Formats: sequence, structure tokens, C-alpha cells
Amino acid sequence: MSGVSVEFARVSKRFGSRTVLASVSGTLESGQVLVVAGPNGSGKSTLLNILAGVLRPSRGEVTYRGGDGPVPRARWFERLGMAAPDMSVYEELSALENLHFFARLRGLAVADAVLRDLLVNLGLPAREQTRLVGTYSSGMKQRVKLAQAVLHEPPVLMLDEPSSNLDAAGHEAVAGLVARFRPRAAVAVATNDPREIAWGDARIDLAL
Amino acid sequence: MRASTLLSESLAVLAKELKSELRSRVALNAVGLFGLTTLIAVAYQIGPYQIQEQDRPHLLSALLWVILFFAATSGLSRVFVKEEDAHTAKTLRLAARPVAVLAGKFLFNLLLLAALYTFIVPLYCALMGYSVKGVPSLALVLAAGAIALSATSTIVAAIIARASGATTLFAILSVPLVLPLLVMLIQGTRAAAASAALAAVLPALRGIVSLGGATLIVSVYLFPVVWHD
Repeated sequence: MSGVSVEFARVSKRFGSRTVLASVSGTLESGQVLVVAGPNGSGKSTLLNILAGVLRPSRGEVTYRGGDGPVPRARWFERLGMAAPDMSVYEELSALENLHFFARLRGLAVADAVLRDLLVNLGLPAREQTRLVGTYSSGMKQRVKLAQAVLHEPPVLMLDEPSSNLDAAGHEAVAGLVARFRPRAAVAVATNDPREIAWGDARIDLAL
Repeated sequence: MRASTLLSESLAVLAKELKSELRSRVALNAVGLFGLTTLIAVAYQIGPYQIQEQDRPHLLSALLWVILFFAATSGLSRVFVKEEDAHTAKTLRLAARPVAVLAGKFLFNLLLLAALYTFIVPLYCALMGYSVKGVPSLALVLAAGAIALSATSTIVAAIIARASGATTLFAILSVPLVLPLLVMLIQGTRAAAASAALAAVLPALRGIVSLGGATLIVSVYLFPVVWHD
């Protein structure tokens, strides 16, 4: 699905009396990594959620485009992979069971070996993959969250603080993931980590 | 473009719910213990001999549904709240079609109700001396009631999932839908107990099926709005 993009113009978001985003504009395109940077509370996650289509802006316009033209929000989710601090996987299932479940929801018949390799590439060893996620450390859970975000090879990838809770090896795995998706997907990363900011081809700086 | 069908996605959600529940047993324990405790308390205090003969048909059918309904509520209301509490709701929203989620959760609640009825109803009949002349008719009333209750509980549970005070809100929002349903279920149960003829339960059954069917149809249209907004 080449040609996928999100165009956002003068997007603002208020929660009650608090303005979190004020008139932000830009474009997220295939073949590009868009970094959304800013201090804590500046609205990075809010903007990412709006670009992902899970949140509606209070003002402004957001247009989701597939290869053939505008795409309705409900169909947009089929193209989207996302990992964020407020998104978890099922703790009463193992890492492999989680991935099988999400693959089945997306209509993918994925072999066990493929899912195992995906988890290994993200730094979760094979011997840990059949344990329940509820027994994992936060870093291990983050690896499973990243795996569920990319298992369907989405043309749009949204990563909110992807290296959070990860060690140096985990950060390198995420960097590899972003590099792999960069040529053919639209990637947006919300972060205030200088290492992740360096991944960006384009950048939006938000202020408090 | 998805390569899956709604049926396969719904069954995936159901399978996940069943697997999670069999490992955690949160809803099963809540529903089972609530039902058993209430039943034993009622059976011990009232029992089969404390009720006047002319009052038995009305009281026994009503008591049965009081026990079944409140036991069910303790487990059915959490089917979406647990997703929000565990922060898996957003992950599920992005991965699954809304109707598949609704269908999977509805089927899970239905199975939970079936398990509750299978456990409690025979025990109730034995402990309370409740003789039922139309067992197939009662089974029909229970089955239709389970479908209608599951449909009602699932959509209300979805509506209240992101609210604070969800348990209280569930009870309040359920009342307009569940009250007429409970009345019809009690009437149908009384009719099944009094007569072996299927025709005896048809008036109540029509009402239960109509209300359950209407709730299911409205849920299919309402749920995507509730789920995504």
C-alpha cells in the first residue's frame, strides 16, 4: 500500500478547559519518519492519537489517504500499527498467544516460527515466549507490544516512546525496526529521547 | 483489506475470552459464588416448606430469577471494563472490527450465563422443592432469556466501560431493558412449571425473543459508535 499519508491542518485539541494542542499542521507520508518532539505534557501522544485516528481533534482537519484516495477512519485502522504506553497486550496470555490472537484478528495465517523470529528480533528469547505476559518485566512487555504493532507489516506505523523501559539492545532493535519500515511505510515517532529524535526525516516540535 | 471474516474474528475474540477466563476465573468465581451463596441463603431461610401452596408458583419463579439475574450481573458487567482497566481496549480497537468484538463478547457472556443456569437451576429445583412439569419449555425460556440478557448486558457494559462508577452505572442503565425482560422470564418460568404444553410459555417466549432480538439489532448499530468514540 504505497502512497499512504495523513494530512493534518490547524489541528487543536482541548480536554475540558485545557488546550493540549494548538493549531498544528503537517503531513505524514510513506517513506518518511516524522518525529513529534517536545517536553512532557506538550501533546505528543495526543497528536499521535489524532494521526492514528483514535482521537478526534477539537478543531482542524485530518485527512487519511490510502493509495486510492481518502480513507474513512474505520478502514484506516486496517493500515495502522501502533505501540504506545497506554496500550497493553493481554497479561493472562503468553507472548506467542498474544501475537497469534492479533494475527487471527487481522486475518493473518502466521506460522509459529515467524512469530518466534519476530519476538527474537525484538530481543525476547524463545525460552520466554511461552510464559504469561503478566510475569514479564516492563522491558519484555514493551517488546511484545512492539511485536503486535508490526506483525501485520502495516503501511502506517505509530510509535509513542518506543524505547521506554528498554535497555541498549532493545533500543537498537527498535532502531532496526524503524529503519526497516522507513522505505515503504509512513512512520511517526513521539519522543523526547535525543536518540529517537535523530531518526526523523521531518520533525514537529511541540511546546507547553 | 482484511483477509479474515467477521465470523473468524468473532471466534478469535471468544477464544481469547475463554482462555483468559479459564486462567483467571474472575467472572466464573464471581457468578458462581454469588449464585450459590444467594441460593443457599434463600433455601435455608425459606426452603421448600415455608411457602404457602397458593404462593409457590409466583414466589418460586420470581426467586429463581432474582438469584440468576443478580449472580449474572456480578460477572457480565466487567466484560469491557476489564479491557479498559488492563489498557488492552485501545489495542483491541485498532486490531479488530467493532462487530467482531461485540459478537465475541456477547458469545462469551452467553456461555457464562449457560454455565450459571446449568449449575444453579437444578440445584434450586432440588433445594426449594420446585417441580417443573414442562422441562423442555423451561429450557426454551432459559435459553431465550440467556440470549436476551447477554445482549442487554453486553451493550450496557460497553456503554459504561469508560465511565467512573461503572458498576453503579451498569445497574442504572440496565433497569429499563432488564425489568420488562425479567417480568417476562418470571411469567414464562411460572407457565413452564405449571404446564407441560409448549403453548403455555409461548406468550412470554414471544416477548423475550422480541426484546432480545431488538436489543441485538440495536447493539450492532450502536456498538461501533460506543466503541470508537
